[in-house]
Amino acid sequence: MRESDIVLDLAAQVRHSLESQGFQVVQTRTGNDNPSLDDRSGMANAQRGAVFVTLHVSSTGPPGTVRTYAMSDLAAPPANSGLIPWEFAQAPYLGLSHKLADEVQKQLALQFKGSPNATQLAAVRQLRTTAAPAIAVEISSVLIQDRADLDRMMPAVAEAIARGVAIFRPYYVTPSQVQP
Amino acid sequence: MSSQGRVWLITGLAGVVLLAAIYFPFLRKRVRREARGGQQTEEQARRELIQQASAAAAEPKAKAKLFWAADPDDTSLIPVTVELPLSNDPVLRAKQVLNTLLAGPVDAELRTLPSDAELLAFYLLPDGTAIADFSENLATSTPSGIQSEQLAVDSIVRTLAANVPQVQRVRILIHGQEVETLAGHVDLMEPFVVNTPAVSSTSAPATNGTPEQPGAAAPATPAAQQPQTQAKPSAEPPATPQKP
Repeated sequence: MRESDIVLDLAAQVRHSLESQGFQVVQTRTGNDNPSLDDRSGMANAQRGAVFVTLHVSSTGPPGTVRTYAMSDLAAPPANSGLIPWEFAQAPYLGLSHKLADEVQKQLALQFKGSPNATQLAAVRQLRTTAAPAIAVEISSVLIQDRADLDRMMPAVAEAIARGVAIFRPYYVTPSQVQP
Repeated sequence: MSSQGRVWLITGLAGVVLLAAIYFPFLRKRVRREARGGQQTEEQARRELIQQASAAAAEPKAKAKLFWAADPDDTSLIPVTVELPLSNDPVLRAKQVLNTLLAGPVDAELRTLPSDAELLAFYLLPDGTAIADFSENLATSTPSGIQSEQLAVDSIVRTLAANVPQVQRVRILIHGQEVETLAGHVDLMEPFVVNTPAVSSTSAPATNGTPEQPGAAAPATPAAQQPQTQAKPSAEPPATPQKP
């Protein structure tokens, strides 16, 4: 099983669930192309009022569980010049990203027994350069023998993500500047 | 072939044989020299290993804290106390604990790093930045995924933090090179800060080599704490990040 194929199928279901909630969805890939991490961030950073969700299937962890990650803390940018350095893009959004991750993980934990109740923190490269509330959702695991088991998880994962984003929506106030 | 052609052919062949005869002793000498050089390199490596081992054996045993997985399916690490001959020199000490971490726990399922990964070099800069250079297997054999990659990084950073107080930050290289991610997910372009509360759960990447300032990067008034302002999104979005 290839992670990229499974994720593409999951993305289509997440898209459908989000659109059902009234959100407009932009996918960073819709086929087997492989944009760079910076290009994906670039696509997200060009949107206004967006949230960013990156989807993964791990090869470890208890099968049938799902975890939501937010970026672990970043140091403050060196100086406030009015422009945010690329590698600090996530810094002003950390609080919002943690809130979004909390809401999504709460929904996932309700659906998938054994999943953690709390958001996980990690230095996810993709999140670092994203200037929006940004989370990574990772399903365990790509090592499941029968892909049907993963396929059965997908609608509930998609629904949980969409519900989490909808709950988060009222809390989303764009930070006006980077705090020193 | 004419008789003149035959003469030229025979003369040419004779010339080749003559040249080969002249060159052969030089070639033999060179091959012997190379072989001797190879033996010396192996001999040097063996001597270094014996020296390290005897130096380690001469060190008094001390308790080292190594961080391995708490459970085969768990995302958390637990400290395991191991008695090791530990050097007082921070670089040697760091190598000793990292090599023991790589060797793995008794229960192989609790490993955090692949068994075929090696520590190639370790440096400690005066500002407390440690540079740990691992073989390519660290990147290729670590299971791809946020959970497994973060666990690998955390085990390295927390083991160094617990045993080598001079280490303030850890930069991980793969075969001498900076790489974007460990196995596709976790960021290795920035050093990881140690000796901070964040390290107790997840190692936080730093930027510009500055010590971490917990919470400094988060918005001072996170929107999540001010739901009463929800209906009025800010008209001023943050400046667009500048792509390098």
